[in-house]
Amino acid sequence: MVQQDEQYTGVDGRLLQAVVENMKLPLLQVARQAELARMSGSTDTNFSSIELTADTALRLLDNYLLSTRLASRRGSLEFEPVSVSAVLTDIAHQLSKLADQQQCELQVNISGRYEPVIAHRAGLEAALMSLGYVFIEARSAQPVTSGKRIIRLGAHRGRSGIVAGIFTDSDSISNDMYKRAHSLYGHTRQSLPGLVAGSGAGVFVADSLLETMSTRLRVAHHQKFSGLAATLNPSKQLSLV
Amino acid sequence: MAHILLVEPDISLGKLYTSSLELSGYSVSHCRTAQDAITSADENIPDLVLLEIEIAIHNGIEFLYEFRSYPEWQDIPLLIVSHVVPSRGALNPKSWGLLKISGYHYKPITKLQDLLSSVERALSSDGVKAL
Repeated sequence: MVQQDEQYTGVDGRLLQAVVENMKLPLLQVARQAELARMSGSTDTNFSSIELTADTALRLLDNYLLSTRLASRRGSLEFEPVSVSAVLTDIAHQLSKLADQQQCELQVNISGRYEPVIAHRAGLEAALMSLGYVFIEARSAQPVTSGKRIIRLGAHRGRSGIVAGIFTDSDSISNDMYKRAHSLYGHTRQSLPGLVAGSGAGVFVADSLLETMSTRLRVAHHQKFSGLAATLNPSKQLSLV
Repeated sequence: MAHILLVEPDISLGKLYTSSLELSGYSVSHCRTAQDAITSADENIPDLVLLEIEIAIHNGIEFLYEFRSYPEWQDIPLLIVSHVVPSRGALNPKSWGLLKISGYHYKPITKLQDLLSSVERALSSDGVKAL
């Protein structure tokens, strides 16, 4: 019976991967069609919005596929020294249009100078990007506090490494909520009802990606903001700072 | 006017890429298979090739080796625009030099504007420009 269940899960997973791979093409067509309309001089702002929405969905699907690829190659992943501040800055740049659209303010805050961490660069970028999508979606639906909806991409030194993640000025993230989300995940449409209206899939994609790097998302705090973050191992060979 | 050979199996994406390239002043031959691409290049030598390596019947890598095997096509700039993740496919960095690949764009993160910039760069380094 156990064997049958495992077999079913395996087939199910492969089927899902095939479907997701197929879904990327229509999203790509929609995104590029909207971009072409914009390039052709259309002033309809809906095209920018369509392009952004389709590109965001496409990246989330691609990040999910990356997580499945990395999980299947666990143990032989190409880890390298990665600068957390460079990754966070790059992710902030990539998320900026979505944040603007959702009326959120993105901030990058690196508390200090850190040595690079050992990580799978593409995996780490995809994880933080996926997490960013959820936080922007979540924060944009919450009331404004202190005149802004702030999302902070931050890093600080923790007890066992460099803690990097995404944080907000709302107090909607707690250990209990995150634990409950993990138990609900896969069984209900809304695993994170206290955070987002949708499935919050980006959180689980991010967690899967980080798991392939032997770390996990945890509830964390960064300069009075709460959020989700992972602890990454610093590279001892490249302690230049 | 620079002429571009676009090898793209998806008809909608092919039309989209063609429109954006034409909008930028290039003439484009869009082919959906490797065989059509070879025939097209024979009839009208392109100044640049845009290639999706994930195509039906013959794969894009086969096309690439075949294309580069003809002396008159060996120096034509070629950009890959593909659904295949760069590090995953049969094209390792070593073969890039061998096959004279000017650049690799992973489709899900490539905007038309990025592609046009690459096309312009590849053509200008080869001395050919759009109108």
